[in-house]
Amino acid sequence: MAKSNVVMINGQPMEYFSKPISKQIWEHKWLYVFVFPLIIWLLVFSYYPMYGATLAWKNFKYNLGIVNSPWAGWKWFEEFVNSPEFWITMGNTIKISLLKLLFCWPAPILLALLLNEVKGMKFKRVVQTLSYLPNFVSWVVVIQLMQIIFTPYGGVINSIRASFGLKSIFFMGEVDLFYPMVILSDIWKGIGWGSIIYLSALSSVSMDLYEAAALDGAGRLKQTWHVTLPGIKGVLGIQFIFATGGILNAGFDQLLLIAMPSTKHLAQILDTYTLEKGLKYGKFELASAVGIFKSIFALGLMTLTNWISNKVMEVGIW
Amino acid sequence: MFFETPSQKVFKVFNYIFLTLLAFITFYPFWYVLIASFNLGSDFTKGGVYFWPRAFTLENYEFAFRDNRIYRSLGITIFKTVTQVVTSLFFTALLAYALSVKSMPGRIGITFFYYFTTLFGGGMIPYYILLRDLGLTKSIWLYIIPAIYGFFNMVLLRTAFAGIPSELREAASIDGAGDFRILFTIYFPCALPTVATLALFIGVGAWNDWFTGAYYQSNKDLYPAATVLQQLLNEATSQLAEAAGSGDNTTNMSAEQESATKTTYTSQSIRMAFVMILTMPIIVIYPFLQKYYVKGVMVGSVKG
Repeated sequence: MAKSNVVMINGQPMEYFSKPISKQIWEHKWLYVFVFPLIIWLLVFSYYPMYGATLAWKNFKYNLGIVNSPWAGWKWFEEFVNSPEFWITMGNTIKISLLKLLFCWPAPILLALLLNEVKGMKFKRVVQTLSYLPNFVSWVVVIQLMQIIFTPYGGVINSIRASFGLKSIFFMGEVDLFYPMVILSDIWKGIGWGSIIYLSALSSVSMDLYEAAALDGAGRLKQTWHVTLPGIKGVLGIQFIFATGGILNAGFDQLLLIAMPSTKHLAQILDTYTLEKGLKYGKFELASAVGIFKSIFALGLMTLTNWISNKVMEVGIW
Repeated sequence: MFFETPSQKVFKVFNYIFLTLLAFITFYPFWYVLIASFNLGSDFTKGGVYFWPRAFTLENYEFAFRDNRIYRSLGITIFKTVTQVVTSLFFTALLAYALSVKSMPGRIGITFFYYFTTLFGGGMIPYYILLRDLGLTKSIWLYIIPAIYGFFNMVLLRTAFAGIPSELREAASIDGAGDFRILFTIYFPCALPTVATLALFIGVGAWNDWFTGAYYQSNKDLYPAATVLQQLLNEATSQLAEAAGSGDNTTNMSAEQESATKTTYTSQSIRMAFVMILTMPIIVIYPFLQKYYVKGVMVGSVKG
């Protein structure tokens, strides 16, 4: 530990910083060497594609590359906004996002609250560990599991229905069941992992407050409302802002995989549209324009919820 | 301290039942597909398999491993997972170490240079064009080089490194150890829980990533297992939809049932085996690392 009579700044005694800067740099030369490879990497894989976003305002020519292709103005944005698919895509994106915000966002909070009431540590630990599992597998595996469970050809759900004399249903392809399937599978996959952050916030709520509330005659439900939830207000606010910031994401790999030919029109969101137009049909400029449209829209939404959160819950990310 | 009212007791019972049910619903799909994968495919399509294989067999796994596509893709997945964990940890550690030394001139500027990329991105298309121009879209390095670095991994590791007293570094450098040696012989072992968490996150991410293969890889022979699984899923989806579209699916023969009349395995039963081959390593590994990654998530969410 530092001696009390030496003032330390950034892990060095104060006199250290009176050395000439070139000497300071020289003493850290290896650190610059360490940083160097990833600076190159960043320039290539992050900064260069950032410039590449100008593709949305260009007429892309293969032989000229992004930089030298001629400018096209707002043509691609106009094409997207005026296309019949615009309202379908926007509608789907917002609908699915709102449904997820309504059902999938509170689910981990509820689980955390319930787990928090459990006194048996062993039981709690087992439930928690199991609930993390779906987070570690990809959507490909999840949809695959769903297909097998819900298949009309020997799947467990339809087997149960059959034993009650009910007709088998093609769950994955049924238009009416599309939203429940999307929401439930999203909850199933994310609820356990999502609860971690709330649980740790809950554990920092002071026990004294509960005792005080109990002395004042508050039941468990009232305690939850007046002590627990205000106690994790900060975390709730931040998570909510992030959730709305990601609202237009709507979970594109899930939707990409869950869509069957019969439900495809319901699963088309901004991201899958970008992917299809860009990588499948090679309409690079249009796809880029859609991507940028989405980013700007998302930023606007996030600013709005941040403002609301600042007003209502007195927390914000900026 | 607290006494329990009857309504609290009722709540407690329901809470335990609910959570048990949740745990069951979480785990059962994995169990179900596991036992189904050990069941004869033709027998499975009759329905009624719930908790235990009815007609036990290993043939689904035999066929899965005999399928060239599956076999090769598993090799690629193992290669890319191991390589990505090693390279990504190595470069991330170099950077995290450098940025954890507070006396380094220009540290803030460099950190911002890295941070900035999390705020803005060029989007999928310019990124794809870049990968193509670099020739990565027909190479196995597609899975390694672009995945070397992630900002939040770096922050996680830097936070761990910053918690190590800087006197340790000074003492070691007075003893003549270079930064490289300090990093890998002192800092790495000291930050082992975080390193383990990162290795798990990077490894699981690499193991599960199907998207890179499906959309950026143009050489089908280089598809990783997750991508092949996605392709099989796609094929099955269109088959199923066809069968369902051609009328009442309880009376109509599907491709599934049709193949089951000729052989004892079906494309579905082989897919089940494949899903389990891909999922088993994760199910086996993740509980052991639990105490590490939960802490890792917290640090990441607080500092990120």
